[in-house]
Amino acid sequence: MEAIVTNLGIGFGVALSVQNLLYCLLGVLLGTLIGVLPGIGPVATIAMLLPVTFTLNPTSALIMLAGIYYGAQYGGSTTAILVNIPGESSSVVTCLDGYQMARQGRAGPALGIAAIGSFFAGCVSTCVIALFAPPLAEVALKFGPAEYFSLMVLGLVAATVLAHGSLLKAIAMVIFGLLLGLVGTDVNSGVARFSFGVSELSDGIGFVSVAMGVFGFAEIIANLEQKEKREIFTKKVTNLLPTLQDFKDSWASILRGTALGAALGILPGGGALLASFAAYTLEKKVSKNSAMFGKGAIQGVAAPESANNAGAQTSFIPLLTLGIPSNPVMALMIGAMMIQGIAPGPQVMTERPQLFWGMIASMWVGNLMLVVLNLPMIGMWIKLLTVPYRLLYPSILVFCCIGVYSISNSPFDVMQTAVFGVVGFVFTKLECEPAPLILGFILGPLMEENLRRAMLLSRGDPLVFFQRPISLAMLIVAGFLLAIVLAPAVRKKREEAFVEA
Amino acid sequence: MRIANGKDFWAGLMFVAFGLAFMIIAAENYSMGTAVRMGPAYFPTVLGGMLAILGGFILFNGFVSKQAHPWKAFPFRAWYFVGGLILGVVAYYTQTFFHGFGIAGEAAHTILSGVAILLLFAAFGERSLWVILFAVVIFGYLLKPLGLVVAIGALVYVSAWGGHEFKVKEATILFVVLAIFSVASFVHGLGLPMNVWPSLWE
Repeated sequence: MEAIVTNLGIGFGVALSVQNLLYCLLGVLLGTLIGVLPGIGPVATIAMLLPVTFTLNPTSALIMLAGIYYGAQYGGSTTAILVNIPGESSSVVTCLDGYQMARQGRAGPALGIAAIGSFFAGCVSTCVIALFAPPLAEVALKFGPAEYFSLMVLGLVAATVLAHGSLLKAIAMVIFGLLLGLVGTDVNSGVARFSFGVSELSDGIGFVSVAMGVFGFAEIIANLEQKEKREIFTKKVTNLLPTLQDFKDSWASILRGTALGAALGILPGGGALLASFAAYTLEKKVSKNSAMFGKGAIQGVAAPESANNAGAQTSFIPLLTLGIPSNPVMALMIGAMMIQGIAPGPQVMTERPQLFWGMIASMWVGNLMLVVLNLPMIGMWIKLLTVPYRLLYPSILVFCCIGVYSISNSPFDVMQTAVFGVVGFVFTKLECEPAPLILGFILGPLMEENLRRAMLLSRGDPLVFFQRPISLAMLIVAGFLLAIVLAPAVRKKREEAFVEA
Repeated sequence: MRIANGKDFWAGLMFVAFGLAFMIIAAENYSMGTAVRMGPAYFPTVLGGMLAILGGFILFNGFVSKQAHPWKAFPFRAWYFVGGLILGVVAYYTQTFFHGFGIAGEAAHTILSGVAILLLFAAFGERSLWVILFAVVIFGYLLKPLGLVVAIGALVYVSAWGGHEFKVKEATILFVVLAIFSVASFVHGLGLPMNVWPSLWE
């Protein structure tokens, strides 16, 4: 316990430095600014803003990125409540009751309870991370290559199980991602693989290009295809503070949402999306007047909003302790860490305590900033929502392009991003979810490396993955997950659940 | 056999093609090694094989699926694609030839590659797609020789034209605002090494 207090002390020392406070603030503001734009979710927002952080030192960069993430998510809920367009899948359920509340003229309390619930969830999950991360990292330090390989298999399987649509396509996308990740110089032999003599490709395909092309550009193009029809019910949002009755109605939902979200966020493949869906379903089940859900029940906003923030934050646990991303946002975070020259994994906590604890402390600071700053600034975000898209997208493109160009000051990266824009467009048209692809892309080289080491240590015996207990357990869980999803009954349910969404 | 689900059909075909391509390129060019000491070809060959097999299942699903989707899953102009590909290959192999003619040769080569890229993008029929992505590419290639202001101008005008409503006046205001803001924040603020004006002037 004492260790945690000292550690958090170090963390707050780092997070509360003027410089880091400033970057956290900047991240939260920029994240909200982009996230509030309809149709642009956290993944696209982070992908677009990644290059901005490259010039910073690693700690500030990660603090800013985490701030961008919360900001984007908060912005997404604002759009969900006010315009009924979810910025990303995790705020889909917020639309159901939040927008109804806005139509009844209660947009203020809906936004207020979302912010308060998120802040509460943020506080709790910061503590959860501080409590759980160190012991988990200690366990992870004992992991050998075989355990790591199996863990990655489990993570990727979990990610495909949670993807929308066809499971086969999701698995194919993971493998495609792994293959794309292998492009470039092979560490063991020094051979430049799949580079076709292009010198830029021998360093591998640019991670920012893939993320920005497949998520950012593809989303802009998809938004352009839809004719603009936005209905903003609230020109002016008054009395943001929920009433006493609202608090009485929703405090239990906030608690349940936080607990559920924090637990689900830790699981591989989990995170904000699963958390918000599960929390909404749970609330509907336990509520005495479940008929009110979908018609503007405040619990239907409070629970999923608390849950998605809790889940978003605890999904940093596998990232910080194991170095394994559990969802696309975390994949982007790992990419940013690698670009900053930090090898993600359990050693980060012991070797760079400043960074590790500073980031955790900054999560709490970032959440506080969101509440304090964004509630008064809500008027500005609403104004932004009224700016027509035809003015917004060229501006977003300009910032994206400058960002991509500045990575290596060459037109090659810009070109590469445009190509991945086409690829992302084709994926959307063919109903291939890109999230598993980016996870595979990040894990490709790591997986190969661990597979090689494990096989070298076992003298070529593939049974090693089944002989080591932790590795075996993870493979069994992965197999079990696949089996239940493939079981006909669950399969039907899963399809229904995603159709409803 | 009729194609029931166009989306599955094309997705399956895409995965089979990429899987086989990775497998063949890896197996032909790099050493396999053994299970104990894996060579650079080992992992990609295995993955490529898995991808091709999965793609085969998805392709098969395209014929038997109960979900109906039209055969044309997205607008595609095959001839543009072939033309772009041919021009691209020509441009790739004639680079040294063109560069023998000095600046005029370089410009001609740039235009040739530009047309190739435009054709490749325009093969995917959606106007918003190819116009916007081509605007992005133009930005990338103009930035070094012509400077940030001109590059932003090209990007803003071309991409705005790609949308549904294009108004010259609006685009001009947007261009001026974005150019001033970008020069101030990126070049002067963050200190990114970029030309603001064409390099010939400076």
